[in-house]
Amino acid sequence: MKLKYICTLLAGTLLTATLFAQETPLKLNINYNYSFPLSNFKKDAVENSSPRGFTGNLMYNTSSKLAVGLGIGYQDYYEKTGRQTYKYGQSQDISAVVSNSIQQIPVMARVEFTPGGGNTMVLPYVSIAAGANFVNYDQFLGQFVNHASATGFRGQAGLGVKIPFGKNSGWGADIGGTYDYAPLKKWGFKDVSSANVHGGIYFSIK
Amino acid sequence: MKTNLTLAVAVTFMLIATGCKKQPLDNLTADESRIYITDHDSTINFSSYNTFSVSDSAALIQNGKVTKELDEVDAAYIAAVKNAMQARGFVLVDKSDHPDLGITVNNIVSTSTGVISNNSYWDYYGSYWDPYYWGYPGYGYYLPYSYSVYQITEGAISIDMVDLKNAPENDKLKVVWTGLIRGSGIFDQSIAGNQVQALFDQSPYLKND
Repeated sequence: MKLKYICTLLAGTLLTATLFAQETPLKLNINYNYSFPLSNFKKDAVENSSPRGFTGNLMYNTSSKLAVGLGIGYQDYYEKTGRQTYKYGQSQDISAVVSNSIQQIPVMARVEFTPGGGNTMVLPYVSIAAGANFVNYDQFLGQFVNHASATGFRGQAGLGVKIPFGKNSGWGADIGGTYDYAPLKKWGFKDVSSANVHGGIYFSIK
Repeated sequence: MKTNLTLAVAVTFMLIATGCKKQPLDNLTADESRIYITDHDSTINFSSYNTFSVSDSAALIQNGKVTKELDEVDAAYIAAVKNAMQARGFVLVDKSDHPDLGITVNNIVSTSTGVISNNSYWDYYGSYWDPYYWGYPGYGYYLPYSYSVYQITEGAISIDMVDLKNAPENDKLKVVWTGLIRGSGIFDQSIAGNQVQALFDQSPYLKND
């Protein structure tokens, strides 16, 4: 709870500060992210969608239509399965409640294209990104954990809209979605790909 | 101000990121925290054994030291093993009546920073249960398979089954079945029956038709 208060306080500080933001080429984008595991990730590891995620993009506008920058993120996936008996080797049986806890932290180079450009009420955009995906995997058998981590590739395609809060204000809202392709041939997984929706704010910084 | 703003954003992001993890251990009941591990010699037909005897006390293996004890919890587990075996068609006899199978109950507790691996457990098994206990002085225990998941950092209860019937022929005391219970609240006499039954439920081959 204490952490939530700290986060709320800092987020409030952030919001207040952004009220004074002026339009500059360098923009920071902070989003809440909701993630849906796809295909093999959903089948092999976690079926549940995840409401615990955030993304952040630091983008530089090279023109009114094009921005390049860095995107990072964090998403926590969790699933607990009912008690089952698993075969281990030829003669061993293990009965356990298995919990999968997976965190993904992508760090990607990002390009954003806003076809309309300019200073309109709504700015639709498309984006692509590629980079590294840091994955932590904790598999619990009952209360006993096996920890593993790995780094893989992550590619992303997305679209969304930006809604400026006033003319030349330098900040606004961002709503969109992405498809994230993340192959990872480890731990019996083939990939940790996902579909994501996000909503947040962007603001200009020096 | 903008530098401070950037810093605030970065700190906020990191705090939110690290704080937004669902903690699996917080979402487990005591029952869900437990795991049951069994292993056996798959070349053996357990129907070839008819009688069994269970040790009259439990070995407490704590930080490398072994003592024999018989408190309410031990007695409950020993009774539960007897019931489970009889329900599978085996006949309980006294140790002096040359049982086909000898069964031991062991409490393994480690409060040290290290772990008790399966190797250290089995390497010293003869010191927990001297082969003399089963009437075979000079024999060694023999485990024909490995237990790679037997990494123990806290309390556990193990139940081991030794082939006494063929000990003279094998010239060793072969462990033909073993079960391990780990997790919260296992040293509780009121749940001993359920815990032992869980081991037997996942060992359907353990029967005397």
